[in-house]
Amino acid sequence: MADWELRAENIYKSFGGVKALDDVSLEIKQGEIVCLVGENGSGKSTMIKIISGVYSADKGELIINGHRYRNISPIESIRKGIQVIYQDFSLFPNLTVAENLAINDQISSGKKWVNWREYRRIAAEGLAEIHVSIDLDQLAGQMSTADRQLIAIAKAIMSEARIIIMDEPTTALTQKEIQALFSTIRHLKERGIAILFVSHKLTEVKEIAERTIIFRNGKKVLDRDSQGLDIKTMEYYMTGRELDSFWSASASKLKDKENILEVKDLSLAGEFSDISFQLKRGEILGITGLLGSGRGSLALSLFGVTPPNKGKIRIGGNEVSIKNIQSAIQHKIGYVPEDRIREGLFLDQSIEDNIVASTIDKLMNKLSLIRDHEKTGLSEDWIHRLNIKTPSGALPAKSLSGGNQQRVVLAKWLANNPDILILNGPTVGVDVGSKAEIHQLIQNLAEQGMGILLISDDIPELIYNCDRIILMRDGKISSEFERGKVNAEELNKAMIGNLMDGKE
Amino acid sequence: MVKNNMLKRIFETTEFVTFTIIVVLSVIIGSINPAFYSWGMLFDILRASIVFSIMAFGLLPVIISGGVDISFVAIAAMSSYATHMYLLRIGYEGGILLYYLIACSIGILAGLINGFLVTRFDLLIFNVSLAMYTMWYGFVRFFIGSERNHNLPAGVANFYSRFLLIVENQFTGVTGLHVSVLFVLGIGVTIALLLRYTTLGRGIYAMGGSRDVAIRCGFNIKTITFFVMMLMGGIASFAGVTFNLLSRFFDPTIFLGQELDVIAAIILGGASLSGGRGSVIGSFMGVIVIQMIHRALILTGIPVEWQDLMVGILLVFFISFPFIRDSFKKLTLKSSLQKP
Amino acid sequence: MKISKRKINKEGSTSMNLRIDRQTLLLLIIFFALVLGFGIFEDGFLTQRSIFSMAFQLPEIGLLSYAMMLPYLVGGINLSINASSNLSALIGAFFLLKFLPLLNLPDIPALQIGGVFVVAILVGIAAGLFNGILVGFINAPPILATLASMAFFTGISVGLTKGSTLTGFPQSISLISNTSVMGFPTPFLIFIGVTILLIILLNKSSFGFKLRLLGTNPVASQFTGIENKKIIMLYFVFSGILSAIAGILIMSRTMSASYQYGIRTYVLLTILINVLAGIAAGSGKVINVFITVFILQVISTGFHMLLIGMRGSSFFKDFVWGLLLIFIFIVNYFTRNKGTEKVELLGLFRKGKSMNE
Repeated sequence: MADWELRAENIYKSFGGVKALDDVSLEIKQGEIVCLVGENGSGKSTMIKIISGVYSADKGELIINGHRYRNISPIESIRKGIQVIYQDFSLFPNLTVAENLAINDQISSGKKWVNWREYRRIAAEGLAEIHVSIDLDQLAGQMSTADRQLIAIAKAIMSEARIIIMDEPTTALTQKEIQALFSTIRHLKERGIAILFVSHKLTEVKEIAERTIIFRNGKKVLDRDSQGLDIKTMEYYMTGRELDSFWSASASKLKDKENILEVKDLSLAGEFSDISFQLKRGEILGITGLLGSGRGSLALSLFGVTPPNKGKIRIGGNEVSIKNIQSAIQHKIGYVPEDRIREGLFLDQSIEDNIVASTIDKLMNKLSLIRDHEKTGLSEDWIHRLNIKTPSGALPAKSLSGGNQQRVVLAKWLANNPDILILNGPTVGVDVGSKAEIHQLIQNLAEQGMGILLISDDIPELIYNCDRIILMRDGKISSEFERGKVNAEELNKAMIGNLMDGKE
Repeated sequence: MVKNNMLKRIFETTEFVTFTIIVVLSVIIGSINPAFYSWGMLFDILRASIVFSIMAFGLLPVIISGGVDISFVAIAAMSSYATHMYLLRIGYEGGILLYYLIACSIGILAGLINGFLVTRFDLLIFNVSLAMYTMWYGFVRFFIGSERNHNLPAGVANFYSRFLLIVENQFTGVTGLHVSVLFVLGIGVTIALLLRYTTLGRGIYAMGGSRDVAIRCGFNIKTITFFVMMLMGGIASFAGVTFNLLSRFFDPTIFLGQELDVIAAIILGGASLSGGRGSVIGSFMGVIVIQMIHRALILTGIPVEWQDLMVGILLVFFISFPFIRDSFKKLTLKSSLQKP
Repeated sequence: MKISKRKINKEGSTSMNLRIDRQTLLLLIIFFALVLGFGIFEDGFLTQRSIFSMAFQLPEIGLLSYAMMLPYLVGGINLSINASSNLSALIGAFFLLKFLPLLNLPDIPALQIGGVFVVAILVGIAAGLFNGILVGFINAPPILATLASMAFFTGISVGLTKGSTLTGFPQSISLISNTSVMGFPTPFLIFIGVTILLIILLNKSSFGFKLRLLGTNPVASQFTGIENKKIIMLYFVFSGILSAIAGILIMSRTMSASYQYGIRTYVLLTILINVLAGIAAGSGKVINVFITVFILQVISTGFHMLLIGMRGSSFFKDFVWGLLLIFIFIVNYFTRNKGTEKVELLGLFRKGKSMNE
């Protein structure tokens, strides 16, 4: 069999005047493990969609195994061996593993009747290919993310994939599951299947990639062997800026500030235990850890979503009990969620309504009616302050880009004038420019005396912004780092180090 | 070991819960009034369930595919009444076959219209069905006739009394197992086979499970939509004719307002309103349970005027059951997804 | 174009709504086209008598449509509105027939009318609380929960009356329906009044604001600090109150109360009206429901007059209503994308406020 090869030559793609891809060329050979890296808005998603036929390029060509394509259709791209694993893994949650695995074969063979025994045989074969054993009769919807991903990979192989494209595949995986995934990827390589692994997690990229391609602002800025490529260099190419390994945020004088938040022996069964820390006014405290470490649960607990079983919380020196979200808000805590689309925004409602969503009760007059002028005024004020790019506050929130949407969520909480702001993954899915602005904003807020908890797994972000960083593992605090005393590599090692305990 | 898993999975289905309810109810009713345990009672319940079961079987694929439709009752009424008035006009004296053929054809066409509107204009099945429900009931009563008609052709006049078996009993009088239960059996088995053993049938489940993934896998959503709509129309018409023949009259207002009862039976039988789940056997059990409850109320001697309230209370409990079960689960089970 | 009243409240700030909404425009065009059409082709249509009679029947359906609108705005439904409406009327009837006579008071119309309203509304509130608990606390899906509550309320009604219809109310009750103020029938004025209150409630109150957010995204609503459960209870309670008022109007017009009134037909009619008016989760305007109710009434009366004498003439309107809904769906399909741009452009020229009702 001749060696399979995918090439993209001089691809251009614009969306309404914005250049998503600007003269990009790349090639992927049989059995290569290539990582495509870039910040949000860099064009990596667009590239994937063009390769898989979802979008058509404005200019340029795809060459697959010598066949030239001006534009390729999704079905043609599948026939040529290009398989994309989507976020929903292309699985039917209400059908069994066996059926999910066998269904593509059933449809492509045009059969009208279903032979369940045949289904099982096909399914078992498919799983055997990736050396995995999963209960065939389980419903796909009841399985863990890792298992679902494995099935998606099995499906791809069964469809005779020559290249499998995975978009941020490790987002919901534990460390152990990530290693299992990498091992599967190496198996695939041995079978001559190429892997295009899209990710922004540089440490993982370093571990698995044979070749690293970096996109920035729609252009390919790096394309080389991964050997010898370090995180700092990757970060530089991704953002175009030198990233100091040490804190470059202004060191505010925190010595004399009092504690705005004190947490002692906080525990929530099954999530975290014996958590104790303090947060001073004007301090940015980072909380990080791997999936399963409890960092997200801790944030939700402090915000009243899942109140703790045990422990004490003091705010401004007074002991408080945070039973639900309303009481958290009453105690001047704000929470900017991880999944802003699901938890933070009302996409179909106006930007203005989104901004005042939490403070609406303060905008009433004596007749208990909304003071519209004040409402609009407040909204315009925040649009201006946070630099939200929109021609009008009346437009729906869904008309905004990711970075601007995040600003709207921030505005909503800032409008409440919180003393403590919990930020959970604030720059996920946000373009480079907005990311920097949001970081600047966070620092400004700290300078004005707000206490900030920054929950993130973005190591450069943590290092850049935090005065202190707490590392959690298995629901407990495992270490604490001070400003200036740790760099990106060290922090990352601390996160995934000591894994031999096998707890994850 | 694999068998244990299978059994465990069966226990967890709603169908099993409904089955348990049937068993428990039978025991309770029987102990209060042993007259319940009789062939007559069984046949009586079956007879009352015939028409509803057929309608449920026709609606089930629509629900599994993720949609909710209420127009099937209107289609049933319109097609059966129109067929009858037409056959009367041409002086038809023959048997039931022509009734079914014509009515079902009309029903399939009506379903075709639903399917067209849904796929062409990207509309919700429910919204289209709302319009068609209103339209068909108006159409049939204005353009065809609004009065109940008792003139049955000679060939069909005795259909209502064709029994497979006959039994006599002090509570139910003379009842029998009517031949139309064979219709239930036939249609039920056909739909069940369709859902389980054809690619199209699996496509219905796929569509209900995830529309996006179904499109990606290559299922033709439009074709499936047309199919379930036409199937629904045809089977609803079948049910309509059967009902009319059994009742010995044709009436353009049959089933008016009963669409929700059919939906309730399907849900009782394990289907989900959001699609992706449901079975023929479950829907049948759902219909049986409702009939059993009606009879149970009569047999237990609760005054007529309070029987509706009992049904209401039972429904409220049935609704609250998942909540009670889930709060119990939350206390005992740990979440399977690990959160950061 | 909708220009609402200028309101100058105590703080001195004014608020004026200026909105051009595609759906409202479409509905208004249909309404005026129908009125024109019937007015031309049917002599008796635009007489005072016919308008008058239309104005009598319409408020009941209008109020029930509002009762359905509230849950519809949250992507839900309330199938029990008719059942609770009848139950409210029946309890009100018991109040008049059994309770009041016990007090041995002379016939005071104010007491009778006021009392029956209070009683009915209390029943409506109770029904709303019942639904609110099922949906808000037990987390039952609204369609199933209100199906159950519909059966429950109907069951109570049947049990209390043994299925019979109650009559024999004091004459004063008929005053609610059979009087008019300044040429407008009282029920119609009640309907207008409720419409205005509802517009204020949904547009200018904290509840209305939160309701819309809840309908758009229940999860984000929770995270924003909105007490979802409280909003759910509230909208069901309002739904119950509106149903109760409708029930009293029906009772007054027919001078009877029964579990059967409108059973199995009214609920679907109100859903039809809401869908026609474009009410959906997170978006929808009271004025659209208002206009739609008029459209349906005009069609009903218009065709009734046109086809008078033909058998089954009252069924033609159902036929037309069904077709009308299809028509609106198709129009919306073709104007969908063009419409939104237009609205946004106009929004840019407005200084100050924007409102999504």
